[in-house]
Amino acid sequence: MSETSTPAVSPVVDQNPETTFQRLAKNISREERFFLVIAVFIGIFAGLGVVCFRLFIEWSRIGFLGPLPQAGDVRLLIAPTAVGVLVTLLVLYIFPQVRGSGVNQTKAALYIYNGYIFFRTAIGKFITAALAIGSGQSLGPEDPSLQIGASLASALGRRLQLSRERLRLLAPVGAAAGLAAAFNAPISAVLFVIEEVIGRWSAGILGSVVLSAISSVVVMRWFLGSEPLFRIPAVGLVRPTELIAYAVLGIVGGLAASFFAKAIGYLRPRLRACPRWTQYIQIPLAGFLIGLIGFFGAPQVMGAGYEYMDQAIHDQFTWKMLAILALLKIIATTLSFVSGTPGGMFAPTLFVGAMLGGAVGGLERQFYPHLTGSTATYALVGMGVLFAGFLRAPMTSVFMVLEVSGNYSIIVPVIVANTFAYLISRSLQRTPIFDLLTRQDGLDLPSMEEQREERILRVEDAMQSPTAPVLESSQTVQQASQFVQQSEADMFLVHVPPSGWTTVGRDLLKRLIGEGKAELTLLSALPTQSLPYVHPDLPLEMALRYVYEFPMIPVVSRANYGKLEGVISREAVLNKYKVVTRTA
Amino acid sequence: MHVKIEAVSIVPATTLNRPATVFAVLSLIAIAGFAGVTRLANRYQEQQKAFARRLFARGVENQKDSRFDRAIEDFRAALTYDHDNSQYQLSLARALRDTGRTSEAEAYLVNLWERSPQDGFVNLALGRLAAREALTEKAIQYYHNAAYGVWPSNAEANRRNVEFELIEFLLRQGARPQAEAELIAFSAAIPNDPGILTRTAELFAKAGTLERSLPLYQRALQLDPKSPSALKGAGAAAFQIGHYREAENYLRQAMEVDTNDNESRELLETSTLLLLMDPFEPHLGSTERLRRLRAAVAQAGKRLSQCSAAADSTDSTLAGLNTSWVQMNNRVEHLTSMDTEASDAAMALIAQIEEETQKQCGTGGPADRALHLLSAKRNGGEQ
Repeated sequence: MSETSTPAVSPVVDQNPETTFQRLAKNISREERFFLVIAVFIGIFAGLGVVCFRLFIEWSRIGFLGPLPQAGDVRLLIAPTAVGVLVTLLVLYIFPQVRGSGVNQTKAALYIYNGYIFFRTAIGKFITAALAIGSGQSLGPEDPSLQIGASLASALGRRLQLSRERLRLLAPVGAAAGLAAAFNAPISAVLFVIEEVIGRWSAGILGSVVLSAISSVVVMRWFLGSEPLFRIPAVGLVRPTELIAYAVLGIVGGLAASFFAKAIGYLRPRLRACPRWTQYIQIPLAGFLIGLIGFFGAPQVMGAGYEYMDQAIHDQFTWKMLAILALLKIIATTLSFVSGTPGGMFAPTLFVGAMLGGAVGGLERQFYPHLTGSTATYALVGMGVLFAGFLRAPMTSVFMVLEVSGNYSIIVPVIVANTFAYLISRSLQRTPIFDLLTRQDGLDLPSMEEQREERILRVEDAMQSPTAPVLESSQTVQQASQFVQQSEADMFLVHVPPSGWTTVGRDLLKRLIGEGKAELTLLSALPTQSLPYVHPDLPLEMALRYVYEFPMIPVVSRANYGKLEGVISREAVLNKYKVVTRTA
Repeated sequence: MHVKIEAVSIVPATTLNRPATVFAVLSLIAIAGFAGVTRLANRYQEQQKAFARRLFARGVENQKDSRFDRAIEDFRAALTYDHDNSQYQLSLARALRDTGRTSEAEAYLVNLWERSPQDGFVNLALGRLAAREALTEKAIQYYHNAAYGVWPSNAEANRRNVEFELIEFLLRQGARPQAEAELIAFSAAIPNDPGILTRTAELFAKAGTLERSLPLYQRALQLDPKSPSALKGAGAAAFQIGHYREAENYLRQAMEVDTNDNESRELLETSTLLLLMDPFEPHLGSTERLRRLRAAVAQAGKRLSQCSAAADSTDSTLAGLNTSWVQMNNRVEHLTSMDTEASDAAMALIAQIEEETQKQCGTGGPADRALHLLSAKRNGGEQ
């Protein structure tokens, strides 16, 4: 059943309707299938690209910092500084589009550039991010992977000369593939792209996004194995009262996420406003400062840091050390990101979350030794907390924790803690970090958080009770005329059983009587024109399509199309919009 | 949100009309991509495995030198370069277990177990972990899995060691009936290996089943008559069963093989003394039997008077025993030949005296210990 219907309207006569319909259906079906096949190839190419990207990062890391970076090694100082100079030159002279994480660039491609991302951007992102992360800059490979995937998809779409509409859709398809391969987490990738890049659930694109994400993960696992990112000892919630401990973690995480976001939001525009010559030293200087942190005892904060997250999960650090690492990672990541180093925010967010979670859990156990949650549990919940609080993707944050750990027994603490973190972060930092960065870049992309929470006006908000009497099509014109005599209205609804509606005016009734049609029923006397009808739960914009053509639209029950719930008119719709705009 | 199906053509005719060509070209690109990335990935993995091997070797060295924390660090680092290596995971889990980080060790082991539930090493490690935490049922389950599991080499020896380890664990836990059941099942198919026979006999002895222990020692001695542990074990087992002549024989041989074995020496001395004091030794003449009985009663009296002097003189039990002893001593002194009833009564009184004096005054000298054993054996035999 379609959402609106015009049951009594005669269809447009086609000379050969069957042939046209068949051709149209065949064409649509072919295109849909073609697009799905393209989505699979995008997933494969993105998966291959991300595998190469990860290999390149690893080779860079081993080449620059050695297989086991230790504090006190002078390479920790030299590598990020020297590579920083190289990255600066690449960013300033060859790949100017590769600064930052890549999420906003993909979003901009979707909303501003019709899905167009230069293939050169993918190459640039690949090289510069791998060099930067490998040399110890405190950034991660996930967001660049997302951009690389989107860029590959865009290039393929252009090569296949796809339409603008499809090209626009390809960017998120590639983005999901890239992110899924980088995270080894297809569900989270799909959710993130829907939650943060597309911003709405759309069945039209969901299939393609899912297919590409799964394809890329299959490719990635083919080459790099199917192990989850972290090996988690058995976790579980023994007593429901322990949720309070996780709520505390959510509060602390929300505060930390706000601090992290505010630091980036404050420093980034100020550094960008510095004289141009400073851009030559910003990335090397950030690298040097991060190198200093590593050199003087915390090499864990350098690079993406997944191995150290694993160690934190396996209780390798004291809670004090975990707290220090969380703070140092926030500082290091802020330095890397605000300097414009290409690289992502996902891995540092998870790192800070894991360390903070472990620290809060350790501290809580100092005061309440009976708490049964292990460091692994708290670290895992902490990852979700920062993800929800800093990146403000609440749904993705829950699934991300489940997927990267391969452990589904911890969902309740994750949801509780994430909710607290999200709410606190929202109240302290009104604008989500990605929106903040977009606005600092002078772009006006739709805010997904705002869109999510925007109130949708529905037909029931503007509909009114019918004041005029409702006529039946079985009544004669004479009866109808007498029936409406007491009413002041000029236009009346006529119910045409079983589910049709039309209107008749007082003037028309008079004219029909004058023409000698008083004894005819309304059904036979009135011209064959029926009204569309709407239901109370439909968006108001749906009614807006009809109110300009028809002065009055019946609002009918979904259970019984003959049952009138109210009427909606152009004035009522416009008044509702006016009230809402004034309130906003 | 509504799904909008566009009625217009969205894919240009050139592309849409040649989907097979597009598909073929994309497939070729994908195949070429796979080939290229496979080469890169292989190179990467070789390099990673080389790093891992180097770090693992260092970890093993550290473990040998009891530097467990460093070993753990190295094993972890090795695993970052070779995630799926079971050997590294097992070594890390063992090192973690040995340093008391059981939950972490278990996480690694369970992960390994999920991948290969038949693996003998993994099941053994999990069994040891459960044993360490005194989780008897779990330990038995994993030890059994290990015993029936897959071992890449020395399967028989490994399985036997697992069985021995399980039995020792059960004995430590005080689960004697379970340990005995495991031992009986194990000994049913025991090979003719003196070492294995001796170890099994030792475990039977620990389980308190000396009757099963002694024949296994004897089987071991048939194969290796000079085995010190078998001689010692057989001597001890025979001694405890009360076969003092046999015990003396084994213990004497054990002393010849290992002159520094003080435990066997002590048992040998007691056995010899016991055999010299026993009035019921076969092949003794009546006079000698009577002499030995009188000597035994006299020794018990001596022990009683020494203990009475040292302990509370008003103790009614000792006083009562003293009265009985005086009467018994008179009776024995006036015997002209060995009287079964009198000798049994004398041995019963000796047993009472030795037990009470041991309770009140501690263990006596070698003669008293021998007398205690003799009287206990006599009374036990009668019972």
